[in-house]
Amino acid sequence: MEDSSKEDYKIHSFDMETQKLLKTALKDPGSVDLEKVSSVIVDQSLKDQMFSKEAGRICFTIVQAESKQNGGSVFRRNLLNRLQQEFKAREETRKRSTQEWVCLVSFICNIFDYLKVNNMPMMALVHPVYDCLFRLAQPDALKNEEEVDCLVLQLHRIGEQLEKMNLQRMDELFCLLRDGFLLQDGLSSLGRLLLLEILEFRAGSWMLSETAQKYYYSEVTD
Amino acid sequence: MSDPRRYRQEESCAAEENRNKGSSRWSQCRKRGADGVVRGSQKEAELTNNTDRKGNRPHRPNSFTTPESEGPVSRIRDWGDEVEFDEMRTNVRRDMQRYRRRILAGEFTQRERKTSSGSSDSKDSRDSPAPGEFETDESVLMRRQKQINYGKNTLAYDRYIKEVPKHLRQPGVHPRTPNKFKKYSRRSWDQQIKLWKVKLHAWDPPTEEGNDLQAADQIDLGEIMDLDFDMEASVDELQYPKTSSSVSSSLPQDSCTGTPSKMMKMDETEIA
Repeated sequence: MEDSSKEDYKIHSFDMETQKLLKTALKDPGSVDLEKVSSVIVDQSLKDQMFSKEAGRICFTIVQAESKQNGGSVFRRNLLNRLQQEFKAREETRKRSTQEWVCLVSFICNIFDYLKVNNMPMMALVHPVYDCLFRLAQPDALKNEEEVDCLVLQLHRIGEQLEKMNLQRMDELFCLLRDGFLLQDGLSSLGRLLLLEILEFRAGSWMLSETAQKYYYSEVTD
Repeated sequence: MSDPRRYRQEESCAAEENRNKGSSRWSQCRKRGADGVVRGSQKEAELTNNTDRKGNRPHRPNSFTTPESEGPVSRIRDWGDEVEFDEMRTNVRRDMQRYRRRILAGEFTQRERKTSSGSSDSKDSRDSPAPGEFETDESVLMRRQKQINYGKNTLAYDRYIKEVPKHLRQPGVHPRTPNKFKKYSRRSWDQQIKLWKVKLHAWDPPTEEGNDLQAADQIDLGEIMDLDFDMEASVDELQYPKTSSSVSSSLPQDSCTGTPSKMMKMDETEIA
């Protein structure tokens, strides 16, 4: 049972001591330093691509556990404020390391996806998430396969929710993507493929038609 | 300077708890002449000049309503506070929908008591308010909810609800959470909250010997009925220790500082 829960939250990339800390936080949040826990999680998310895409779940569980245990929201508050700091510094992060930048975006989006409040996405994150996606849709970012890949991944996961929260910005974002696809030099063919797929995906109301699915995702035997 | 919107802000936060009651914006204004030069001593002038430059306004409300916004807008910019604020707001809105439905269903005329599954703040209402005649101003509701939350986030309240199930509660004897949806004046509401919290003190966890003796005077039915439960409660506390502030001296007059509280959901310094 212990091992399977480790698997669920994908924390095997942490060192043993930290894993222990996280597991305790999940069971008995009141007994640990939740500021440290949130800090540890954010730090790792910025380094570990796989974790950045999955960290939302463990965060949500800790938030729930704390609320149930003593009605507090110390963990959530610390997590969000730390995230806000990283968000503010995103341009420097992007300059320093594309990998870290991409991890940051994945993490923010993952938090948006999982940390619901009264079953609704957190309003406070809507614009920041859009800001990140808009940044990824800029010409200098579209040239980078890594960034395009990140962009389309997030849109697959949270595009529909995001659109519900703010349709106008989604429309604007997709204008940029269309323009990028059509007009931009320096896009790799993979980059263009990814963009075309996401354009079709949204046009199909966040679903791919069967034929499109076959086109993009089945093995091509030549 | 006399911005009508600002004036409204002042009104709405006239008696915020723990506000710095230092020099108010108005008294600062009084110190200035028509030409903007500060009246009075040089030193005073410097001080007020400095504070003005820094934009120090001790009475700044934590939330305000503008014509463009949908409801109270939080001034706080950090995400932690924003999310807490939103959470409280959606809770209040959900409570309001529930309450509206219950009024329309005519529940209150029958004094039905159901087991509560959600917010029980507004369950028991002696007189049924006519539909449309209850408090709907979000900033008021949020302020009231915050006050209720302070009372509920205490060990005393926890012990109380464990010891006295709803169907055993007697009016007058057992504290009842004020109904945030009913129309009350600000003073009346604040007084109700105060009295409610004082009554809740009867369920403060026992501390030392001496305090127990003092507290015994104030505890009436609660203590007598629940001698058995006392044991249970202390076992619970051992297993799930709640963070409590420093132990009180159990004088119920001091309603704000007396009750040991577990970790608060919201600090007083946070959003309104």
